[in-house]
Amino acid sequence: MEWINPYHLQVASFVLINVILGTSIYVTLSTGQLSLGNAGFMSIGAYAAALLATKYALPIPVGVAAGALLAGAAGALVGIPSLRLSGVYLAIATLGFGEVIRAVAINWESLTGGAVGIAAIPQMGRVVLAGARDLGFSPASLGLKPNQFISLTVFLILLVAAVLTVAFFLRLGRSRVGRAYAAIRLDERAAEASGIPVTYYKVLAFSQGAMVSGLAGALYAHATSFISPADFTYHRAVEILVFAVFGGSGHILGPAFGAAFLTVVPEALRAISHYRYILYGVLVVLVVIYRPQGVIDPPLLRRMRGDRAAEAA
Amino acid sequence: MKVRLQALAVLSSALFALVFLGAEKPRPRVEPIKARIGVISIITGQGAGYGEAITNGIRLARDEVNARGEVYIDLKIEDSSGKQEQALSAAQKLIHSEQVVAIIGPTLSNEMKVVGPEANASGVPIMGTSTTAKGITQIGKYVFRNALPESQAIPASIGMAVKKYNLRQVALLYGNDDVFTKSGFDTMKEVSENRKLRILTVQEFQKGQADYKAQLTKIASLRPDAVFCSALYEEGAVILSQARKMGIKVPFVGGNGFNSPKVIEIARDAADGLIVATPWFVDRNDPKVKAFVAKYEKAYGKKPDQFAAQAYDAFHIVANALKAAGAADRDRLRDALAATKDFDGVLGKFSFDAERDVVMEPNVLIVQGGKFRVFQ
Repeated sequence: MEWINPYHLQVASFVLINVILGTSIYVTLSTGQLSLGNAGFMSIGAYAAALLATKYALPIPVGVAAGALLAGAAGALVGIPSLRLSGVYLAIATLGFGEVIRAVAINWESLTGGAVGIAAIPQMGRVVLAGARDLGFSPASLGLKPNQFISLTVFLILLVAAVLTVAFFLRLGRSRVGRAYAAIRLDERAAEASGIPVTYYKVLAFSQGAMVSGLAGALYAHATSFISPADFTYHRAVEILVFAVFGGSGHILGPAFGAAFLTVVPEALRAISHYRYILYGVLVVLVVIYRPQGVIDPPLLRRMRGDRAAEAA
Repeated sequence: MKVRLQALAVLSSALFALVFLGAEKPRPRVEPIKARIGVISIITGQGAGYGEAITNGIRLARDEVNARGEVYIDLKIEDSSGKQEQALSAAQKLIHSEQVVAIIGPTLSNEMKVVGPEANASGVPIMGTSTTAKGITQIGKYVFRNALPESQAIPASIGMAVKKYNLRQVALLYGNDDVFTKSGFDTMKEVSENRKLRILTVQEFQKGQADYKAQLTKIASLRPDAVFCSALYEEGAVILSQARKMGIKVPFVGGNGFNSPKVIEIARDAADGLIVATPWFVDRNDPKVKAFVAKYEKAYGKKPDQFAAQAYDAFHIVANALKAAGAADRDRLRDALAATKDFDGVLGKFSFDAERDVVMEPNVLIVQGGKFRVFQ
């Protein structure tokens, strides 16, 4: 089992967290709203999960679920007033929201630990290993070293979370809700005129996106075992947006691809250390110039399926 | 054919002679202990200046150590971009793919809080050279540091200032959105309370702020004997310059973040009266320091700062421990590191305490006439 390398699993784990984040921005974008608040929602999920685990010793799944739901609720609360805005104004408002959350995390020291952050959050792999040992299981029986087992566990948990999230929204896209999203995205007024409750669906998409961000944040907290306000700055919000810009926001696989690709590239380029982020920037610029809709868009997916008839139609 | 045979005979006898001659002579030295050491530092992005100084210091030390021939160290330097995820991936790569025997770094305390537990769980000794926050070495028994924590530097500078200026009442000013300045402030507050100083006011600011007049007006109106300020040099230099312009002439006692020549560059005359405690003093009258500064200047064209010096010493500490351990073995290296005592480096005498934290005497410096001098 030597080939199971915790390094590769680590990178894969971050890819999966970023895929979930990419999905979160896709959901809000699928109603044509540009939200830069996802880093803020992510931090709500991360802090909720971390605090429930460290201060109240609740089991990790409970904390993760609570983190995601809390972020979703915050999304609805923020969404209702701010969705009267659109385009750039909405982007600015949500950006402001993200900064407010960060300021709260910095200043509410008694709860969040301020700038110092929260350390020693139970790491899910280690918790599973400890639980498995209590049941008399040893990773050696699978031919794994403890840290291989830990990394593999984290990876598998995140894989399940990411696949379920993407599958849920793939399914949603073909449902009544998904059709409504698409209609709103294409033309808000026409959608309203055809009897779609636009505000309801926009708030729904916004809080779904917030919930998914919160889920990613909660998983992030339990994967790295340390969070601080510095993790959820404006840079994080932009990074999430770049996943969608690079990968394409026309189909859910776009942001997922963007997240995976843009996480792996800097790792794969470690050999050229100083220049790796230059290349990252060049790639993004090239995509914006030559494929402004992103690398993956629905026509490309149809071509890949060989379904030319659908494309012609 | 004959010629060929002859040539062969000559050649083989020559070879034999060489082998035997070689065998007769005792080997001048034993085979060096070969080890691979990983470094995690900020090579790209914000904070790359720290990474540059740190890797420069380490490379210089590596060349010295390898030239001595007792240990041969292969460096693997990985970039963290100052991000925890990147630092963690880099650490996993070093631990599992590169199979390093120890890690030096990462640069930031936040990064260490993520990387430390992983290295500790994998049984890889890890040593921070610039991680000054609280609770770093308490992560586990494989986590070390030679970065003087604020909790040791600040009591030294405050202690000297209180004695010299007979301080009674002070004002506190700190950046509340940075781990480093925040934990520096916590120490300042604690030390002030222990020394029964009256704290007139506590003022906060944020990273990147340009105007400190609101905070400074408040401080000026209360007439403190001194201002204790926990800031990084970027903000600290501006604060000093604005404070002096507003007529606050009292001494400023700063944390380690103030310990940069840049403070004087930016604040100029306003920096006079700034007191800092620091592990590193570039003008110290010590042949070892002078040699290091000269060598560093020759290699990189500038004077080493604190980060370079700490990284330089850290590498030598690891190399010495490796020699003492006698083999490139993670556990033996850990034990040898923990046993480090009175290591004589460019920062002065250095030991680890029972919790693998720093034991050393900081230098207390004061800015006078545009230069850092020893504060007496």
